[in-house]
Amino acid sequence: MSELLSTLLHDARVWQGHRHHSTTQPAETTGYQALDNQLGGLGWPRGALSECLLDASGIGELQLVMPLMKRMTEAGKTVFWLNPPHTPYAPALAREGVGLDILVVIHTEDASDFLWTLENCLRSPVTGLVLAWPGKLATRDVRRLQLASEAGQNVCVLFRERRQAEQNSPAALRLELVPDEQQALKVNVLKRRGSWSGQRCTLAMAHRADIHVQNSPRVVQGPWPVTAR
Amino acid sequence: MLWLYLHFPHLLLDHVRRSQPIENALVIVEGTGQHVLQACPLAQDLGIQPGMRLKTALGLAPDLHILQADQQQQAQLLEEQARWLYRYVAHITLAQPDGLWAEVSSLQRLYGGLTAIWQTVEQALAEHQLTAWAALGHTPLAARLLARAGKGECSADKGHIQRALSQLPLAAAEFDKTACTRLNRLGLETLGDVFALPQKELARRLSPELLATIQKIQGTRADPRAPWQPPHRFRQRADFIQEVEHTQGLLFALQRILAELEDDLCWRQQDTDTLLLVLQHRHQEPTRLRLRTTGPEHRAETFMKLIRLKLDQQPLSAPVVSLVLVVRRFISREAPGGQDLLGETQDLNEAWHTLISRLQARLGDQALKQLSPQADHRPEFAWSAGEVKRSKGSGPVNPQSLPRRPLWLLPGPCPLTDTPVAWFSGPERISGGWWDGQRVHRDYYIAQLPSGQLAWVFRDTQNAWFVHGWFG
Repeated sequence: MSELLSTLLHDARVWQGHRHHSTTQPAETTGYQALDNQLGGLGWPRGALSECLLDASGIGELQLVMPLMKRMTEAGKTVFWLNPPHTPYAPALAREGVGLDILVVIHTEDASDFLWTLENCLRSPVTGLVLAWPGKLATRDVRRLQLASEAGQNVCVLFRERRQAEQNSPAALRLELVPDEQQALKVNVLKRRGSWSGQRCTLAMAHRADIHVQNSPRVVQGPWPVTAR
Repeated sequence: MLWLYLHFPHLLLDHVRRSQPIENALVIVEGTGQHVLQACPLAQDLGIQPGMRLKTALGLAPDLHILQADQQQQAQLLEEQARWLYRYVAHITLAQPDGLWAEVSSLQRLYGGLTAIWQTVEQALAEHQLTAWAALGHTPLAARLLARAGKGECSADKGHIQRALSQLPLAAAEFDKTACTRLNRLGLETLGDVFALPQKELARRLSPELLATIQKIQGTRADPRAPWQPPHRFRQRADFIQEVEHTQGLLFALQRILAELEDDLCWRQQDTDTLLLVLQHRHQEPTRLRLRTTGPEHRAETFMKLIRLKLDQQPLSAPVVSLVLVVRRFISREAPGGQDLLGETQDLNEAWHTLISRLQARLGDQALKQLSPQADHRPEFAWSAGEVKRSKGSGPVNPQSLPRRPLWLLPGPCPLTDTPVAWFSGPERISGGWWDGQRVHRDYYIAQLPSGQLAWVFRDTQNAWFVHGWFG
């Protein structure tokens, strides 16, 4: 029993408030130094679920996973997009340098198909990264997915709504994404393995639309008629 | 020349019995349904004999299973047998409806003697759960007569075969009826008696055709047989005497057929990626299931998994009376190339195909998509979603040559409802599509909405504003 306990402590699965364990969990760097620092120098955990909680698309949430996605496709690992809310735009992905020939977009009809597909993707050795938009998900299902992701060694990021932040979740990493000033992305760490949560950082994301911060807007005077709509 | 003849006394019966485990006795009746043609061993134990009236048979065994003989089906069945025999023998001739010839003299050196050939064929027959009577002869007809009489032996000795032939009763010689009666009236009883008659007299008193037949049996007249060519497809059928209501019942028969397919593909050194499974119902249109694997495949186990998934997804609409598995697409196997010493690349490649096939089998082919950019200025047409293929990159695209685009594209433009708080680059005018009627004439801007979202918005010619994408 004590052996079991010590394994748990060593893997930092049991969280001890007074000690900061550096985890031995395998992880993939996020590509953002500021965020990596907040995550104990590691990044996205491999073989575990990560959750991103956000209100609406278009705040830089894809840009957050872009360095990882690029690295995965370069390494020949398949990237799955499961039930994306909009169309992933191929020209933009190609511009970012993502290999489109091993990027697969899957749409499922119902929740059981979704879970089945995600589980299969997670268990396969060819998968590098799974991005999934699950919609509603019971805690029981998240647990099931967590087990499936432990079977494989890949990164799985679930994009969920921000109001689910209050519910607890078995995911290993939970990030709350909020838009910040100057098109930046504020990341609040709600949960992570092996240490206190509550870190926050702001990542500059303005480059996703080629906006240079120091520049004043390039549209000198918006074509926007003040009275319109 | 030495011929081996295989006579299948109850091919249809064997075929039905291996598709489904049956406890009751089974008989095959002729087309009109009056007489029993073939009876299984169980039925024969109950006293049912071929040629018996069906009513009598039913009296002997009330819970008898009855199957009507179908000529076309028998012909197909015989071809199925020729197909696997073709692996062992090159020159095959079919003798519809229930036998086939194989030319074996040219194979003796390959197999190392006649006994080895004989044993190989017998073993293969046992593997396929078939009953066949075999016989050797120096002419096709001699072999056939001996086989049908069940007098075949593994010996190429001319004198021995001649003796066995001579002892055959006239009824077994397949002469036409009138000739048979006339010979009988002459006091002749065995084939040997007929052989002893002077040939000129035989032709004059009986008929030239009879003489020709006798000469063909003896080998003094040429009897050419055109070799059968195997069709370039795989087709196997299983008939169920008891209608199958659950998928589980189909799997038993499928297991055998798929094992045969794997064998067949191994012999051809080919793979396939499309299987067609046709389930026939009694009162309905047949169900046709197309199974696709993403990559070339030959293992029965993989096919089985896919079929299981497909059948789980699509419950049987009606009880099944028979199933047919057809494979028409064959792909020659590629030599494994670009593989490291530990074979790791190959494994991953295979794992990829397995995963994609599994997903496609359950979700349907349309659920999985691969994206690619297209050369078009209009945002809606600048991308396409295609079938998933394992291809090596379509060549590096120079990323900087592409214009800045949002990562999310909305399925269609959405009216802009909030006034943006900040404007960035723009306008970028996109105008095109005059050539195909899908005219686009818009000014695109990048704008930030009050919610913090970065949007790709445009104004059309009517001065209306729309959101077309998000910078995710």
